[in-house]
Amino acid sequence: MSSAHPPSPTENVATAPVVDACASCSVYRAANLKKLGVAMEDWDFVVALAGNPNTGKSTVFNALTGLRQHTGNWPGKTVARAEGGYAYGDHRFKLVDLPGTYSLLSTSLDEQIARDFILFGQPDVTVIVADATRLERNLNLVLQILEITDRAVVCLNLMDEARRHGITVDDRQLARDLGVPVVPASARFGRGLPELLQAINEVATGQVVCRPQRLETVPAAIRPALTAVVGELEAAYPNLPNPRWVALRLLSGDESMVDALRGGQLGTLHSLATTESNKE
Amino acid sequence: MPPSPSQPASQSDQILAAAKQWRQQIPGDLHEHVVEAIYGQAARIAERSVSSPSQAARPTFDRSLDHILTSKLWGFPIMILLFAVMFWITITGANIPSAWLSWLLIDQGHSWLRGIFQSVGSPEWLTGFVVDGMYLATAWVVSVMLPPMAIFFPLFTLLEDFGYLPRVAFNLDRLFKVSGGHGKQAMTTMMGFGCNAAGVVATRIIDSPRERLLAIITNNFALCNGRWPTQFLIATVFLGSLVPAVLAGLVAAAAVTSVAMLGVLLTFLVSWGLSRTLLKGEVSTFSLELPPYRPPRFWQTLYTSLIDRTLFVLWRAVVFALPAGAVIWLVANVYVGGESLAEHFIRVADPLGLFIGLNGVILLAYVIAIPANEIVIPTVLMLTVMTTGLQDVGAGTGVMFELQSGDAVGQLLTAGGWTTLTAVNLMLFSLLHNPCSTTIYTIYRETGSAKWTMVSTLLPLALGFVVCALTAWGWRLLSVAPG
Amino acid sequence: MNHALPVVASLIAMAVVFWPRYGLWARWQLAQELARRIRREDALKHLIKSEANGRVATLNSLAGALQISAANAASLLEELEERELVTFEDGRPLLRPAGRAMALHVVRAHRLWESYLAEQTGVPELEWHPRAEEREHLLTPEEADALAARLGHPTRDPHGDVIPPPHGDLEGDPGQSLNTAAPQTPVLITHIEDEPDTVYRQLVALGLRPGMRAFVIEKTPSRVRFWVDGNEQILAPILAQNVFVRPLPEFRTEDLVEEEFLSGLKPQARTRVIGLSPACRGQERRRLLDLGFVPGTVVEVEMISPAGDPTAYRVRGTIVALRREQANLIRVSSKEASDR
Ligand SMILES: Nc1nc2c(ncn2[C@@H]2O[C@H](COP(=O)(O)OP(=O)(O)OP(=O)(O)O)[C@@H](O)[C@H]2O)c(=O)[nH]1
Ligand SMILES: [Mg+2]
Repeated sequence: MSSAHPPSPTENVATAPVVDACASCSVYRAANLKKLGVAMEDWDFVVALAGNPNTGKSTVFNALTGLRQHTGNWPGKTVARAEGGYAYGDHRFKLVDLPGTYSLLSTSLDEQIARDFILFGQPDVTVIVADATRLERNLNLVLQILEITDRAVVCLNLMDEARRHGITVDDRQLARDLGVPVVPASARFGRGLPELLQAINEVATGQVVCRPQRLETVPAAIRPALTAVVGELEAAYPNLPNPRWVALRLLSGDESMVDALRGGQLGTLHSLATTESNKE
Repeated sequence: MPPSPSQPASQSDQILAAAKQWRQQIPGDLHEHVVEAIYGQAARIAERSVSSPSQAARPTFDRSLDHILTSKLWGFPIMILLFAVMFWITITGANIPSAWLSWLLIDQGHSWLRGIFQSVGSPEWLTGFVVDGMYLATAWVVSVMLPPMAIFFPLFTLLEDFGYLPRVAFNLDRLFKVSGGHGKQAMTTMMGFGCNAAGVVATRIIDSPRERLLAIITNNFALCNGRWPTQFLIATVFLGSLVPAVLAGLVAAAAVTSVAMLGVLLTFLVSWGLSRTLLKGEVSTFSLELPPYRPPRFWQTLYTSLIDRTLFVLWRAVVFALPAGAVIWLVANVYVGGESLAEHFIRVADPLGLFIGLNGVILLAYVIAIPANEIVIPTVLMLTVMTTGLQDVGAGTGVMFELQSGDAVGQLLTAGGWTTLTAVNLMLFSLLHNPCSTTIYTIYRETGSAKWTMVSTLLPLALGFVVCALTAWGWRLLSVAPG
Repeated sequence: MNHALPVVASLIAMAVVFWPRYGLWARWQLAQELARRIRREDALKHLIKSEANGRVATLNSLAGALQISAANAASLLEELEERELVTFEDGRPLLRPAGRAMALHVVRAHRLWESYLAEQTGVPELEWHPRAEEREHLLTPEEADALAARLGHPTRDPHGDVIPPPHGDLEGDPGQSLNTAAPQTPVLITHIEDEPDTVYRQLVALGLRPGMRAFVIEKTPSRVRFWVDGNEQILAPILAQNVFVRPLPEFRTEDLVEEEFLSGLKPQARTRVIGLSPACRGQERRRLLDLGFVPGTVVEVEMISPAGDPTAYRVRGTIVALRREQANLIRVSSKEASDR
């Protein structure tokens, strides 16, 4: 299974069931995909499509669900959440296309839908669509999302453009640095999508466990405050998956996070996390 | 503070109190510290995995094109020219499929359907209601609306996919700023070209509430799906016919461009006015990412946007034109005191209509067409037949009859008392009247305010009356003076 | 029959006047009560501000600040004492805890409201203060907290004043006035006094804002010549008196002179971001940071709109268009940046 597959940056915890040798060739896997359009009453996993504006999220969405969500070459084309479905292997996935966003830290209204869904929609897998020609800028959001969740896949889109401009991206190095699967793709031409489907599937089913890169250097100015609040949080919720992020949001006075804490959702969030990890 | 259901209240309160206290101790802006740290890390990671030829990696093609498309000299002329060319292609290209569809659906389809109804012995009122009302209205909408839209929108989508639209916003931002608006209002206006309801939803990209309201209120000044065909048809039939045939397409395209530009001009003026009255305030900030140019996939775009447009227009036709057709038939055939409802209304509205250079028929058509602008022209034609008593042209009262070519439309309307002024004012009124009901509802949903919904609905209507009245007045002055 | 009409009419008139809550009389009373409360709160505000700035509040200073007669000021102070908001020590009014809390809330509400107007409404700068003067009396402490949360808990208002935390202390002393700053020493503008209005208007018109960096070049009795954020400016001492500054020991004057603003960048020029000016606040600041305008980033002018504004910059591989006012808030180095 792993011979033809790019070496996964993350360890394969559960060994995948043995399948025939062709399992890794794209034809086979693409045939595995069934586009479900809007018909998705019961699904096994919810997958969110996040990313900076104009990186091709809706294009990926259309390619996987067979829907015709509007796309256009300008940032801000999608302003509302769109949902569609596909089946891959034995599982049914609900795919959620989100408006583009530059950052999860801001409070701007136009980015609220995406921010809220990534933070509180509790997707099983978050696919971060990044623009390969402007990777550094896109990593800003990638790193923020990786602070929150450890079930993410980076879709390195627009590879054709990058190639045309002579930019090469070492996706294995990137995967190692980020600690999540990185899949190069050109969504517009359908390239890389079989690999993306597989990566989503593996992360969703827990065959691949991500070890996402968290912010390595906390700025000195906020370190004492952050440490203190993280300490309080960890004492109260020992299993919280992302105490540092929650602490950051509390420190910046994010109301939705304050409400979550007061309303006890943080409790459910953390109990969810524990049941998930028990399952594995 | 309500006690939390799952954790003891004191615990979450304690955390919150700690956060609150520590917040005061952080020097400067927390967000700033974090973003800087993240960018630092992003740069380190990117450096390890990305190799690009040189820092100045921006393609020379993009760069030179941008310098032309946003140049002082060429920026604005190219913008106008591009739209004019799109209109011209639409006008000249739509003629043939329009004639063909109208032959198929109206000449053939109508009599065929009528034949079927008669052969199964359906009573005349039912045949009239279904075939002459509902079917014909729908068939008209399809044959008049579909071809221009199926040409215009693929063209527009090509521009959009190429990446030209943000450049328009970039070029126009200064004007929006002066009028108190946001540069992205240009984007939402262009989205309004497809459908005003979609344009209103698109205003979500504008972060500042004040400027977003401006964009919502002025979105109606962007001609939409349902109104472009009216423009194309009237411009071709009345204005194109004023000049030799070779120039007809050009003149018609120029006329439509002028109306579209008037819409843009009014967007500025109304934004300016509102910014100084109801929506007082200073302009906020504007930041817009200009994407790289991307070669659109020609055939794919053509195909999807054709399918999308066709489905959209057909769907609207069925949803709105069908019942509207029935309403038209009813108002023309329900008699009160020896006069049909339509005649009552037209008699009352005629003086006002004529005063503003239109007529009662057009006003009634706009009342019936509140659900969808698409049905204005069919309604106007049908009502004109009825009032001019040209029974021999059509098949009967309240029946939208067969007219293969634009010439016939022109002859009919001229017989109905139309002049060039009526045509010009219809084009203006089509730009300036209340939004369709879907848009009104969308505005209400997006603003959550009855007040702003009212303003967005009535303001364009009032403007329409004023502009038409002024045009009529000026026109009469000019045409009387020489004689 | 004929008598009924006048009776009904006078009944209606009575109802209009005396109807509980909504009648004219009730409204008038409410307005009176509000006016009295506003005066009380303004008096408390005067006391807390005097105290924070180490000045002694007196009957006369109160009368002057509220522009009322000394007799009225005296009865006002009496009323405050009756309500146990103020005590007297050596004949001087002092705040009691309840009075202090109330005063603090009013100051907090005022500064929060100014921040809100500045960041989220597009209300012209000159109207911030007068509008906040009204609103400060209408916000409840809960509303003030909600507003603070919505604004992301700002610590300073747009004039550079510290917004006091709900139960904290009022920080006084915005620094020294520009008049008294030593020449050739870098300073940070911390505060632009918004009273009197005429002076404030002139300072705003000159573009002076808290957060700008400055140093005095030369001082004469009739004028102060100083360098501020890329420009030289001259102020009469009476105006300079309302500009408050604090020293910036970590900078040399050369550092300041080397700073430029992105708006001053020539076409095709390339430079490095030093930071965002503190005058760039709230949402706008976050957006610019998210777009990549962080210290050390290389920016380059790509193109200018045909109308002269906005300008498109290349930053971290993307073209971003900004209006001149925004580019004016991004400090860049005056030295040409080379490739990274
Ligand atoms: N060359 C190339 N272009 C692509 C690719 N994927 C998407 N695009 C184009 O990129 C543009 C943006 O695509 P969208 O799917 O609308 O982007 P998005 O991320 O949904 O954008 P927002 O909704 O605005 O956030 C469109 O013009 C697409 O045709 C790709 O793999 N290669
Ligand atoms: Mg999208």
